[in-house]
Amino acid sequence: MQPVTRRDIDILRRRINASVRRRPDGSNPPVRTASELPSPERPALRSTTGLAGRECESELGRFLLQEHLIANGRMHGNVTVERLHGMPAEWVGHISQGVIAPSPPGRWAFLDTETTGLAGGTGTCAFLVGVGAIEQDGFRVKLYFMRDYDEEAAMLAALAEHLDGYDVLFTYNGKAFDVPLLETRFRLKRQRNPLAAMGHVDLLHGARRLWRERMPDCRLGTLESEILGMERHGDIPGSLIPQRYFDFLRTRRGESLGPVFHHNVLDIVSLACLGSVVMSSYAEPEKAAFRHGQDILGLARWLASSGNEATALRLYRKAIHVGLPASALYRCLWEAARIERRAGNHAAKVELLTDLCRASDLYRVEALEALAKHYEHLEKDPSRALELTRAAQRHAPSERLSHRESRLLRKIAMAGTGDGEPSGPAVST
Amino acid sequence: MATARQLSSGSKQEEGRINRRSAGPIAPSDNSLGGVIERFEALQQRPDSPVAAIRRRPARDARHADMPDPIDARLLEALAARGIEKLYVHQAQSWNRIASGENVVVVTPTASGKTLCYNLPVLNALATDPSMCALYLFPTKALAVDQLEEFNALGDTLGGDVRAYTYDGDTPSDARRAIRRRANVVLSNPDMLHSGVLPHHTRWARFFEHLRYIVIDELHAYRGVFGSHLANVLRRLKRIAAFYASKPRFVCCSATIANPRELAERLAEEPFSLVDDNGAPSGEKYFVFYNPPVVNRQLGIRRSYIGEARRMAETFLERDRQTLVFANNRLATEVLTRYLKESVGRSAGGTAPVRGYRGGYLPRERREIERQLREREILGVVATNALELGIDIGSLDAVVLAGYPGSIASTWQRSGRAGRRNDASVSVLVASSAPLDQYVVEHPDYFFDSSPERAHINADNLEILVNHLKCAAFELPVQDGETFGPHETNELCRFLEETGVLHHAGGAWHWTSEAYPADAISLRKVSSDNFVVVDASDDSRVIGEVSFPAALTTLHEKAIYIHEGSLYHVERFEYEERKAYVKRVECGYYTDAIEHAQVEPLETFDGAGQGPALASHGEVRITRRVVGFKKIRFYTNENVGDGKLSMPEQEMHTTAFWLRFPMQFMNSLPFSTTDKRDGLIGLGNVLRTVGAVMLMCDPRDLGVSTLHFQQEPESLLDPELYLYDSYPGGIGQSEPLFRLRTSLGAKAGELVEGCQCKAGCPSCVGAPGEVGENSKEVALRLARALAGPTGDLAAA
Repeated sequence: MQPVTRRDIDILRRRINASVRRRPDGSNPPVRTASELPSPERPALRSTTGLAGRECESELGRFLLQEHLIANGRMHGNVTVERLHGMPAEWVGHISQGVIAPSPPGRWAFLDTETTGLAGGTGTCAFLVGVGAIEQDGFRVKLYFMRDYDEEAAMLAALAEHLDGYDVLFTYNGKAFDVPLLETRFRLKRQRNPLAAMGHVDLLHGARRLWRERMPDCRLGTLESEILGMERHGDIPGSLIPQRYFDFLRTRRGESLGPVFHHNVLDIVSLACLGSVVMSSYAEPEKAAFRHGQDILGLARWLASSGNEATALRLYRKAIHVGLPASALYRCLWEAARIERRAGNHAAKVELLTDLCRASDLYRVEALEALAKHYEHLEKDPSRALELTRAAQRHAPSERLSHRESRLLRKIAMAGTGDGEPSGPAVST
Repeated sequence: MATARQLSSGSKQEEGRINRRSAGPIAPSDNSLGGVIERFEALQQRPDSPVAAIRRRPARDARHADMPDPIDARLLEALAARGIEKLYVHQAQSWNRIASGENVVVVTPTASGKTLCYNLPVLNALATDPSMCALYLFPTKALAVDQLEEFNALGDTLGGDVRAYTYDGDTPSDARRAIRRRANVVLSNPDMLHSGVLPHHTRWARFFEHLRYIVIDELHAYRGVFGSHLANVLRRLKRIAAFYASKPRFVCCSATIANPRELAERLAEEPFSLVDDNGAPSGEKYFVFYNPPVVNRQLGIRRSYIGEARRMAETFLERDRQTLVFANNRLATEVLTRYLKESVGRSAGGTAPVRGYRGGYLPRERREIERQLREREILGVVATNALELGIDIGSLDAVVLAGYPGSIASTWQRSGRAGRRNDASVSVLVASSAPLDQYVVEHPDYFFDSSPERAHINADNLEILVNHLKCAAFELPVQDGETFGPHETNELCRFLEETGVLHHAGGAWHWTSEAYPADAISLRKVSSDNFVVVDASDDSRVIGEVSFPAALTTLHEKAIYIHEGSLYHVERFEYEERKAYVKRVECGYYTDAIEHAQVEPLETFDGAGQGPALASHGEVRITRRVVGFKKIRFYTNENVGDGKLSMPEQEMHTTAFWLRFPMQFMNSLPFSTTDKRDGLIGLGNVLRTVGAVMLMCDPRDLGVSTLHFQQEPESLLDPELYLYDSYPGGIGQSEPLFRLRTSLGAKAGELVEGCQCKAGCPSCVGAPGEVGENSKEVALRLARALAGPTGDLAAA
């Protein structure tokens, strides 16, 4: 077999142009031959313009490091940077359900990457990695930037060394994106992966629990404006970032990357501030300063799912009190009733269920059936249970309900109540 | 020719069990296959007999070799439990070659115990080193599922040391994570390797670090486009393995083709050692060629091959012989299933003794049919090539091939489904009137005596190559001076830099695009540009996809598009949007596009005299345009109307084989200019058929065009006849055509001469209405001249 020669490449160009473009008019696009192309060695283009920062060098090569300090007095939306200092070491333990050992906020690293795409796989690269940390004088963000692909190894090694100084990693959607991506990069460069040794808090998960109910989506940008009350001006949309970088690689003009660096810094500060909101509400739920019933409901559910049912119940009631849209209210009543049942608070359960079958279409059948079970098994009142079962059946007949109905009828007959007519107070439906 | 003998006796026939009206050409007198063979032989003696050939292959005893020494005791025990105390010679040979570190390709017939050739070495390696890994590749997901069962049946004896899983598009995402972490044997397919594994190789780091064996089963399936892609996927795989410092060995298994070792070496680009000494036993076997009788000699029309295949199948089924019928398309499969269910099922009672089987059935249903076949719960199955590949259904008594499967290799493989170890079996080929079928059935010696086809690939099709180089660069930066297969990459990478997807830095080319290149590349096609077919009569539902070249001839406006047996009228063809809007119709005709192809030679790679002509191969530009269409009535194939079309012109660079006939020679032929032109076109049609036979490809993979004759009958330029690869860039068919040019001419002559029609028919040069009255005569003259001595004009 022959190696491909320059002449073959000319043929290749013609072929590919002809087969890829498939012009309807049958014309051929102009062809450049290999000999007209610039050589890949272009020393002139290696000098970069318009990028602030410090060039770092190690035996692996160079890269660019930028630092930004957001001083303690500054506000990020409605959060003061100072507030970040006050977070207790235990919070990381709470939010991770005890997986992460308590560690002071000075040992937390807030990380976000800018990448050459979202496709994933080994061909996607993090060209900019920002790491924020809570320091004495404020919140400091270090940006690790590779000015070309040959700087990746040095950048990653320096990043790893920097991360060694921290115990806990905070990201937003990092479990699915940033962390596997960086793992891949470290492996491709045959370097040690520093992330493996760190506890990892992906704030997307907590944020989803709290705000999924109320927000159209839980993107960092959405929560930044809705929760932190921060508005960005002239921010670059994330979808344009990969192309900016590719353009930079070809032109070496760093000016157009300014907004990308700024975008990354803001994301990291928002990540830290949002982290303080999420963790404080989870760690001290009854102090959470939520003004929306839905947010309180989200928190209640989160607590219920992690086993703190007593606090969850109080928050369910608080959410009802603060006010919820109808559908959220019904679900709230239903979930609260289930927790009351598990806790053995049957009176409270009956009260919630009775409210529910008066008010809601959504959970009426389930509530009636749950009440029927209650009266059949706990109150030993089959007539009442029968009445509730029949009420449920009027709304949504099912085999399960008819089965329950016939069993109740048998019970009543055996107990000798005779006529099988329901007694006791009627439930209006 | 063997004399028939009483072979075996089945259970006695219940009276009236079979619907006599549809009884086959051979009435049942006893239940044995021997009786059937006798009757075929009697039928063959008649003049104009439809039985074109009967061949017998005697029974063969097993040839064993001792178990090789260092096999794990647990495996020996498990093998013994299945009655395997010794290996067949080919299994032992494979073991030895693999043990000595060679790449091995095993070529033995269906059901000869090929699987053990790779499972045993892999399992034994796992027994000593449970951390080692193996990758198995199968052309379909179903085969991987099937083979996992077989692998585990033996592997379970090693307990937790063997962790084998399938990994394909059906694997749920949580299972994928576990498989990447745990598996030491992964059963997958090339498509999944290409788009799901290699681009995420860092997640498979452990697997690649310990990868010792790559098993490629059904190697013969990787020819043409698919094979050309796989060769490039393997280039990528070896590159990734090298990154993790492993150098896996290959074990390949193939059905019988002419060049298994060459194919393996071209696919993997490594030397291979061939194991083809089959030690498995087989029973006596008959192969019958049956050409349905001619009912209209003038038009060359024969009795329907579907009907004849049905009668043939009934002959076996009514004798309680387990029978597999192969049809070449879905429609024929369904029609035959219905016929056979009606005639055989009526009096049998209970469950249907005959079932259909094709790719469109649900996997669960297919598994059930396979099991029912193995356990003899059903008597007959009508299948497409979905059952051709190595799915385990046991062996049957009879195979009926409804139509020639398209290649010698494929025919042997399908007929290999019939073959009892200790009993006789029979295969019957029922030819359709397609040219290929007619050639094969009328030239039984060609079929039985020549080796099966060669499988061709062109790993260096530049379009395919460049697409995989993109994927390779995505997976790992391409270092300066690195080669991809045999190719230097620098120029190619520069080309890709120009298109904006690569960037050079630090002595390597890096992927600089947001795209995930593997997603845009389908291994089963050269380019992935597709048209979607939208059913506008049903809520704009997408009902199908059609590849770019086929779309222009099947989805033009007013075309009848056929899908799942239903007819659709094309209302609108949106070229730019790559969409065609269709509506359900009921009509009695289908459409056939008229396409004009203009060929222009660009570069000649090689040339030589062939008879009076000059034969060449090289690169050409094909410009095609669909100019109109014909409406053709179902069943009678009458032309019932036509229409003009204005479709965009398509240009394609590809490779071609061509013949130039000097004017001096053409002038020496005693025919009119028109007749000579018709003869050349007729010869082109014949060469396409014969070329497809010799190349083991679909006739549609070859295009035909003439130059200097169509436009200017009085031209002084020498007329030329082109056979070109129908795929952009070519898939490696032109160079072998050039090499085989002498037999190409000879076989073309035989086909024309042997055809029973008077003046051309669709089975040879084409119908007289299309190629002219004298095309057959002229084509025969030309073909004979081609096969004659070079440069000798008198031969004409």
